[in-house]
Amino acid sequence: MPEITRDITKRREQRYSYGLTLLRECIEKKRPLTNPNPKERKVLLRAENISIAFGKLQALNNVKVEVKDGEILAIIGPNGAGKTCLLNVISGFYRAQKGEVYMEDKRITHFSSHKIAELGLCRTFQNIALYTGLSVIDNIIAGRHPHIRYNFITGMIYFPWANREEVSQRAIAEDIIDFLELEHVRGSVVGMLAYGLRKRVELGRALALEPRILLLDEPMAGMNLDEKEDMARFIIDINEFLKIPIVLIEHDMGVVMDIADRIVVLDFGNKIAEAPPEEIKSNPKVIAAYLGAG
Amino acid sequence: MSININRPCGTFDRNYFQAKELYRTPLRKTLLILLLVGMYLLPFLTGDYGISILTLICAFTIGMLGLQIITGYCGQISIGHAAFMGVGMYTVGILQRHFGLSFWVCLPLAGLVPMSIGMMFGLPALRMKGLYLAFATLAAHFVIVYVISNWRSVTNGTDGMWMKRPDVLFGIDFKSDRNYYLLVLTITIIMTYLATNLARTKLGRSFVAVRDNDIASEVMGINIAYTKIMAFGIGCFFAGISGALGGAYYEYVNVEWFGLDDSIWYLGFLVVGGFGSIFGAIAGATVWKVMDEFSTLVTPLAETFLGGAAFYASAAFSLIFYSLIIIIFLVFEPRGIAHRWEIIKRSYRLHPFPY
Amino acid sequence: MEETVKSIVLGLCSGGIYALLAVSYVVIYKSTRVFPFSQSAVLIIGAYIMWYCLIAWHLPIWLGFILTCVGGAILGMFIERAFMRPLVGQPILAPIVVTLCLMLFLRGIGILMGKGDIQGFGESFLPVGAWEVGFLHLPKIQVYGFILCALLIAALMLFYEKTRTGLGMRVVHEDHVVAQNLGINVKRIFQYSWIISCIIAVVAGMLLGNIQGVGLALDANGLITIAAVLFGGLESFAGAIIAGLAIGILQMLTIAHIAPLLPGETTMMVPFVFLLLILFIKPYGLFGLVRIERL
Repeated sequence: MPEITRDITKRREQRYSYGLTLLRECIEKKRPLTNPNPKERKVLLRAENISIAFGKLQALNNVKVEVKDGEILAIIGPNGAGKTCLLNVISGFYRAQKGEVYMEDKRITHFSSHKIAELGLCRTFQNIALYTGLSVIDNIIAGRHPHIRYNFITGMIYFPWANREEVSQRAIAEDIIDFLELEHVRGSVVGMLAYGLRKRVELGRALALEPRILLLDEPMAGMNLDEKEDMARFIIDINEFLKIPIVLIEHDMGVVMDIADRIVVLDFGNKIAEAPPEEIKSNPKVIAAYLGAG
Repeated sequence: MSININRPCGTFDRNYFQAKELYRTPLRKTLLILLLVGMYLLPFLTGDYGISILTLICAFTIGMLGLQIITGYCGQISIGHAAFMGVGMYTVGILQRHFGLSFWVCLPLAGLVPMSIGMMFGLPALRMKGLYLAFATLAAHFVIVYVISNWRSVTNGTDGMWMKRPDVLFGIDFKSDRNYYLLVLTITIIMTYLATNLARTKLGRSFVAVRDNDIASEVMGINIAYTKIMAFGIGCFFAGISGALGGAYYEYVNVEWFGLDDSIWYLGFLVVGGFGSIFGAIAGATVWKVMDEFSTLVTPLAETFLGGAAFYASAAFSLIFYSLIIIIFLVFEPRGIAHRWEIIKRSYRLHPFPY
Repeated sequence: MEETVKSIVLGLCSGGIYALLAVSYVVIYKSTRVFPFSQSAVLIIGAYIMWYCLIAWHLPIWLGFILTCVGGAILGMFIERAFMRPLVGQPILAPIVVTLCLMLFLRGIGILMGKGDIQGFGESFLPVGAWEVGFLHLPKIQVYGFILCALLIAALMLFYEKTRTGLGMRVVHEDHVVAQNLGINVKRIFQYSWIISCIIAVVAGMLLGNIQGVGLALDANGLITIAAVLFGGLESFAGAIIAGLAIGILQMLTIAHIAPLLPGETTMMVPFVFLLLILFIKPYGLFGLVRIERL
């Protein structure tokens, strides 16, 4: 991928995309945006000794993953390695039989999924799980749910502050749509959209939750080179503009090597390597399991 | 529910406040006001028979709105809606008879009591996906009917209870049917307003999110159990108020009026009206009551057709006729009258182009 | 104590019919994932067809039985073709509403057939009288009914195990798309499930009409069996059989012990309280399958 190759030692001054300013203001009101350089990053999300089995099938076996603040972590591995399973355990959808998950040193292991989402752990799905009856903008506003500040009675009576709150949420959603370049489809029902656009709406909905950390499950599956470059552009901008870490499950080696700061390799539920991209390329275990010869 | 993208030609939204408006142009606002004024003036034009039909349409519209919230917005199937309507009726009856409270105090309670009973019955089923709420409400229906029929000291058993109309308010006497219709119409308009607002605010969006993809909505920060229970509770609130108003119209309440059949007609005519929209609920309730009157007129003909003293014809007629209508609508127009009306409006707007 | 044992044994006998009815629900639910509320009304139709054969047309019993089964098969075929097949592809709510409306539609047809009265069979077509075994008083009707139901359920299980069509049906139980890709005609399997279920329901209606009188009150049994099906698990035959027997025992115990305590008609209410208890304690039933959702 020629243009988007990042040099992670340099900070870029110019952004690749536009938009997201309103969202950044919202996040800044609630917590300060940190700007650590790569040497001083703290661990934000820690998943320790995760083991989960479905009947006799051991999906994950003592997996330990750490996500540092502000980095892009890629999780790779062959199909069936348990990558989506790991994401499901972290976001509270599956209950692991063994293991703990800590976010900012707070234990979130058996929290219900919606509480974990309110804490800022947002994810997208491999097979798109959008609200198919709603339009694009309604999907993104639906993602704002934990941050909307009126209760249902004042909503039903529609006091003026409820109206203003709705309008401000609409403004933030439009901000996200500007960023993701979805203006031309903002009113269409999601069920009618093409696959690539749906993936972008998924990303938009995850962004609308004001994430502290973003988990993306195969955001570039089924896209051609153009769309992959667009998606990579969005991911890099989210990482550098909103200053949040991104965990990426991806199969495309070119993308992973280019934009990831660190890579974790899973194989049949075991973690077999964790290193920056250059070292992964030459790791014999990874080559044997995944990359093939050469 | 979703963004109104059907703006007439030439009107553009310049800010988000305008974009959210339901009735955007002055023409639509005028038409809405004319409609409301017309509904208030109708009883002066029609006789007593028309007033009775209109009152029942309004009362059942409130119940339909409740079922629309449960089933159309949140996707939970409830086969006990008529039972909760009955609970509302009986709440007013019991409070008037045993405690002598005025109707105005009883009315909100007539909504809150079915709401709490409904939440109680719905609690186990709403934890789970699938048909379980249908079974729980089926069970709720039989338990409620049993309790009402047999708790003679409180509910007078199967003999029914007498209810009183509302007391005099601002000098208006509600004994006359016409004044009572105006009261019911006002309450219906208020409830429709509440339901429309519910649809476009945070809770309403979470209803639709839970209906469309409940696992994803949980991971996106929506508490599914709370949402489903609120949907069921609010729907039962509407059902209770609907029952109270209907019962006060007849000034008499009997447990036979809300059987399993009525719950199924609620669901069926909601399908006929159209899911997921307020207009669908209103259309469904109107169709139901009009069909009721129609069947009352046609039944004597059916009796002569079947020969002799065919006393059973009225019972069989409504059962067969309504089910056929509902099934035909489900097969040929599954999105109901509301969808068909949208298509008619669109073809009028786009004439002579097809789309 | 004697009363309890008598109730349990009687409950077992009448539970046979409930088990048959529960199996008819589970057959359709497993194949099509639609819960057929309408089978409770098919009971009424079955009882009325048998009544017509025996009393109005004075046919011999075996002919009446065959005609009733044929009538049930035709009814099943008609329901599936006319009402269920056009709904393929619609959300889950559509078939549910259609089965509910079918329940009322068939009840209306029942009213027309029976001219609104409860009829008796005159003489029951099964031998009357009872056997006395110790202190137990076993009515012959119930025992013969139980044997007939057991034979039918055994025949159905053999059909599933041994025949090719049965194998096809078992594949459809698992997954519709996979079955279609394997060359099984899923629509025809739906037809077969509805036909089998309606035949079973019609036979159950016949037996129940014999015991309780042919009339519109028969669909109460169908609704009670819904509680049984939930108890046994919506997708399990073994569960349906056990649950049917359990509901039979529950009914008899209610009549013996609970009915004197509470006023009114408790036999309709107690199974539904039981249903609510099941939903609280073990919502998927005894043998129900818990499906793991994948994201």
